[in-house]
Amino acid sequence: MKKLLEEAGIEPDRIKMYNIGASDAPLFAKAANEMTEVARKLGPNPLKKEKRA
Amino acid sequence: MIVGQRKPLAEIKEMVKNHKKILILGCGTCVAVCMAGGEKEVELLASQLRIARKLEGNPVEVLEDTVTRQCDREYMEPILEKARGCDAVISMACGVGVQLLSDLIEEIPVYPALNTRFIGTNEREGVWLERCMMCGNCILGQTGGICPIAICAKGLVNGPCGGTNKGKCEVSNDKDCAWTLIYRRLEKQGKLDNIRQIFPPKRFGLHVNPITQVNEAYQHAQKEEAHHG
Repeated sequence: MKKLLEEAGIEPDRIKMYNIGASDAPLFAKAANEMTEVARKLGPNPLKKEKRA
Repeated sequence: MIVGQRKPLAEIKEMVKNHKKILILGCGTCVAVCMAGGEKEVELLASQLRIARKLEGNPVEVLEDTVTRQCDREYMEPILEKARGCDAVISMACGVGVQLLSDLIEEIPVYPALNTRFIGTNEREGVWLERCMMCGNCILGQTGGICPIAICAKGLVNGPCGGTNKGKCEVSNDKDCAWTLIYRRLEKQGKLDNIRQIFPPKRFGLHVNPITQVNEAYQHAQKEEAHHG
């Protein structure tokens, strides 16, 4: 999936798969924070730039 | 089955850069099994193309469909209307499907999304091996069901050659020596004498493009039916 996104021109870091058990809330929160940081660094989704402008 | 490999997105994108409404048509037989041109791959390519074109500021309308077999006219009829409503079609079938579709909708350009590579078997998950070169003069009955034309790097009909190396080929240690495989198989079948047989040079003249094949019994039956009907 990362490769497919990269080929199409979207930063591959925008997607990541985590395997988290239903009872592992702290891990889920950690993953969510991690992805939020990644998204902040990368900026808005380039496909939605047009709409925002 | 026919084994195909999807072209890189950049190549596909370049082919269709001037088209605004495109149908991506998958094929549900060989290329679906080798994970190159089935329904799932149609969805992936369509998404990639939409994203890439939107990012370039040149958006495109992409329709998706998959037929059971693109090499048979009867399966193609139901999608022709849809294809004619587009500027272009990207076919995810083998080269046969691309050509039949182009014959059926002559005025609409058809572009190949795959490189058609060979006919072969699925060896293990995600790995395919060429098994038949379609030489038109099969000798598998004498070679223990292993084709020296397809498996031997030199396509030798009388082997092994001096380059056989403990069951591997001099070309690469990753390649099995076809004639060692044949020897082992014939040994299991108690038919090692077959190895002594000298095969005449392959008649490559049998493969003159394009080959046509006629089932005479079927044609005869059709004629009879027409005559009595």
